[in-house]
Amino acid sequence: MSFTLTCPICGPRNAYEFGYGGEDKGPRPDEKDLSPGDWCDYVHMNRCIAGESKEWWIHRSGCGIWFTTSRDTTCNLEVRGKAEEKDANPPLEKE
Amino acid sequence: MNRIDPLETFRIQPSQKISIQYGRKSYEGVAGDTIAGLLYGNGIRVFSRSLKYHRPRGLYSLDGECSNTMMRVDGMPNVRTENTPARNGMKVTAQNVAGKTADTDPMAFMDKLGFAMPAGFYYRTLHKPAKMWPVAIKKIRKAAGLGVMDPDFRIEGYFDEIYPTADVCVVGGGPAGMTAALAAAAPGLRVILMENRPWLGGVFDYRPAAYEGDLPLYQRAAHLARKIEETPNIRVFTHTAVVGNYNDNLVTAFQRGNETDPFDERYIEIRARSIVVATGCIERPLLFENNDRPGVMQVGCAHRLARTWGLLPGRQAVFSIGDDLGLEAAADLSDLGLEIACVADTRMDGQDETLIDALSRRNIPVYRGWIAYKAHGAKQVKKVTIGPLAGVQRQDIECDLLVASAGLTPLTGLLSTRQVELLFDRHTGFFLPAGLPDGIHTAGRMLGFQDSVKIEISGQLAGMEAAADCGFNAPGEIDSIKVRINAFPGPALGSKIVSAPVKGKKTFICFDEDTTLKNIDQAMADGFDVPELIKRYTSAGTGPGQGGIPGHNLPLYVAQTQQSPDQAPRSTTVRAPLIPTLMATYAGTQHDMCKRTALHDSQVASGGKMERVGVWTRARRFAEDTKALAEIKNVRHNVGMLDASTLGKFRIHGPDALKALQRVYVSDMDKIVDGRVKYSAMCNEDGCIIDDGVVLKQGENDYYFTTSTGRAGQTVEWIRYHTRYDHWDFNIVNLTDACGVINLAGPNARKVLEKVTTADVSNEAFPFVGWRDLTLADCIPARTMRLGFVGELSYEFHVPASYTQTLWNILEAAGKELGIQNFGLEAQNGLRLEKGHLIIGSESEQRTTLHDVGLGFLWDRKPDANTVGAVALTQTEHQKDRLKLVGIKMADASAAAPKDGSAIVDTKFQGYICTARFSEALNEPIGMALVKDALAEPGTELNIYEDSCNGQLLKAIVAKMPFYDSDGSRMKM
Repeated sequence: MSFTLTCPICGPRNAYEFGYGGEDKGPRPDEKDLSPGDWCDYVHMNRCIAGESKEWWIHRSGCGIWFTTSRDTTCNLEVRGKAEEKDANPPLEKE
Repeated sequence: MNRIDPLETFRIQPSQKISIQYGRKSYEGVAGDTIAGLLYGNGIRVFSRSLKYHRPRGLYSLDGECSNTMMRVDGMPNVRTENTPARNGMKVTAQNVAGKTADTDPMAFMDKLGFAMPAGFYYRTLHKPAKMWPVAIKKIRKAAGLGVMDPDFRIEGYFDEIYPTADVCVVGGGPAGMTAALAAAAPGLRVILMENRPWLGGVFDYRPAAYEGDLPLYQRAAHLARKIEETPNIRVFTHTAVVGNYNDNLVTAFQRGNETDPFDERYIEIRARSIVVATGCIERPLLFENNDRPGVMQVGCAHRLARTWGLLPGRQAVFSIGDDLGLEAAADLSDLGLEIACVADTRMDGQDETLIDALSRRNIPVYRGWIAYKAHGAKQVKKVTIGPLAGVQRQDIECDLLVASAGLTPLTGLLSTRQVELLFDRHTGFFLPAGLPDGIHTAGRMLGFQDSVKIEISGQLAGMEAAADCGFNAPGEIDSIKVRINAFPGPALGSKIVSAPVKGKKTFICFDEDTTLKNIDQAMADGFDVPELIKRYTSAGTGPGQGGIPGHNLPLYVAQTQQSPDQAPRSTTVRAPLIPTLMATYAGTQHDMCKRTALHDSQVASGGKMERVGVWTRARRFAEDTKALAEIKNVRHNVGMLDASTLGKFRIHGPDALKALQRVYVSDMDKIVDGRVKYSAMCNEDGCIIDDGVVLKQGENDYYFTTSTGRAGQTVEWIRYHTRYDHWDFNIVNLTDACGVINLAGPNARKVLEKVTTADVSNEAFPFVGWRDLTLADCIPARTMRLGFVGELSYEFHVPASYTQTLWNILEAAGKELGIQNFGLEAQNGLRLEKGHLIIGSESEQRTTLHDVGLGFLWDRKPDANTVGAVALTQTEHQKDRLKLVGIKMADASAAAPKDGSAIVDTKFQGYICTARFSEALNEPIGMALVKDALAEPGTELNIYEDSCNGQLLKAIVAKMPFYDSDGSRMKM
């Protein structure tokens, strides 16, 4: 947790101040006809990319905002300025 | 030993005497001495015994590069005495030796057993037969090691932590670091400068060589240090070891306090916008037979002993060096009174000829291309064999000091911890950064620069580049400085000689781990060809010195001797902390930070037994009786008061507030009735219950709700998280700390309330689960709710925190004639248990769903709310084989209540007891348990395995809940 994250309100701050909210998987799927397996995948399965991952973070010890940002998981550094351009991570591919 | 006459470079106060105790004797020194320096001045030469062979070890370097001078100081093991200031009255003992001092050691015979301990012997020998190893390991542990940790040892002192802010962080307080700090501070940036030694100056600090004209280097250093001191936006941390450097310029360090500092050691963490690394060089050890003999020391060690502390390191010396600093030191030490027999320089040429001239003027012969082959003497150097690197001639010279150094090695650890790739530079022989991440710059000697002015200018350049990182870009100035730097000659050719051509049996590449060159050869013969692996196989460089001795030599030696000599040397990895740090420093001050309610003081004054509950300190009970039966009885039959201020309290308002509540609560919040609270629960996406509380509507689009104590901190975050894709318009305010809560409970509660309000609080006007905003005692606004957690007539007053104590006093006075009493958490627990009311976290765990605890009726199946957990609640509604919450009674009503958490078993685990207590109302133990649904029917017999039951399972029977007042009439009266 030695990197910094850029809070949209407070600017770059120590990662210690933030809480992790998981990968950005997009809004919840439609509940109708959802199988337990599909739901479980949405809630629990992650893509765990080695590389750029768009994620939710909260500025917990700061202003309290939830925001998305991209992080390179291979070096644990925020990919600055990319979050706005990027869509949510594509859904998981089914085996 | 007498000190030499005072010099301007001294860092001691010769008039101020101090004394320390070593072994059984007392030794005198002066203020400013290090522990090892003080002992050295008193003729002590052997400071410790080595890890495996119990060889005598002496003062070799001065910055903690090896464990040679680690001693036990005032009960603390492994103190690096060579850079720890001596304080009057310190008690010092030697380590890894049978006696109190290191001078004599009955275990010294281990040195003769070296043949039995080849490289990797831990892995290879003493394993056959297998039962021998447990015996052998005990023997090895007894014979080998460093300091011994006394299990009862408690570290004294104050260990702090600070997180200062800086634009530019400069590591290294030598000439390059100081000029970097000054340059970065020039445009007004906040600069932090950190230096490992207790003073600024670095390699300039003690040297009388000329800087420019007649100005000696030490005066130049003092001048720069003064300028630093006069610059208000530079904050200096001396005696500060920088131990790590991480992503986005996080620098971690620890500072040792002196006698006037308010801390003994403190952790420093800095997030800088730009970093300048100007850590300079240490010396690369020169290897030869018995190169670890006391009396062998590095150039800087000998030079600084004299110049900084006034201690001539010996009488008769031989130098074997590989760098100009060695020539310079020889000339200066000769002037200070050291007799120097000769200087052997491993280099054939490339020396600064003015230094050669200076030595010849002093009649000190310089032997180019010569090297020390062997140090003689049992406990300290008595004689040295020197000879040419190529050639058979040998010369023995009697001496008591051998100043030996192969060359320099840059301190690049801070770059390594930042994952910077280091490549071998054939010219300097250094491992230099292949490229630097943004916002990090290097300067000074670590780049191979030797010219004093060039060192300073490189610092200036790095400082300006760091300022540019912070937005103060001066391209023209930076370019002109670059031109100036390039005008200087490039880095000097560095010597790559590691060792004299000897067999290497007693040639130590690593002192800490007693690793010899022969061990390295053995490792290579065993097939290891990468220094990183050889390091592990031979443990060279894994000791407390963190590779300070073998870090550079090992890869050089391996590259020079391995089978494919075309490979460039590959460095080993260094890791943080770069310098051993006390665990106490990392632990910090350990303040126990907790929240106190507004009623804390009066709770304590009333005899409250306070304990930590989550982030709060709360009263568990008020009487000595751990079951709090008197408090329970008083609530059941009279009236009691509880400080419930820790409840989570929130206001949510705005056009989309209702939608947000519908999202997180399982119940339909559209159905809230005016003047009534609605009890509901929150689940997570798995349908597992995480919170319960009440919601009330206090106005249009305006709601007030409570959460359990433990969830108060996360609730705002939770609601915002689960509405993050919706862009709804609502505000949520955490009022937990802004409001206090008093719970007035018991059949006489109304009588107390009536005394403090004129409002109609009859059962008809203010019924159960109703809420009213009342004014109490004509002055206190109190949101009052009729709830029944403890199962009696009960009012909960939510009042501004600042009024809470006043209201408490008013209620206490009003209830005095009725005999009102405090009750605490233990009583509340017993009371609610009789009612079968659950506490999330006690009667639920991570996997417990809303259905499992019997609260499925709260779930309103709202069609379009996308309620968190609804999908899982649908899917798990009829799932089998789950743990269900049931009430239990003991088969033997006179038995004690089983311990919370006891397992319910038959042939396997079937569940566990959540909470069980003696019931005051039923006069028998009752409890709640989570058991497999097959065992959940009332009347089912359960077997309980309790910690101390000795195999005698306790018998319990599933009972219907609630245990007390099943129709709830007492709450509604």
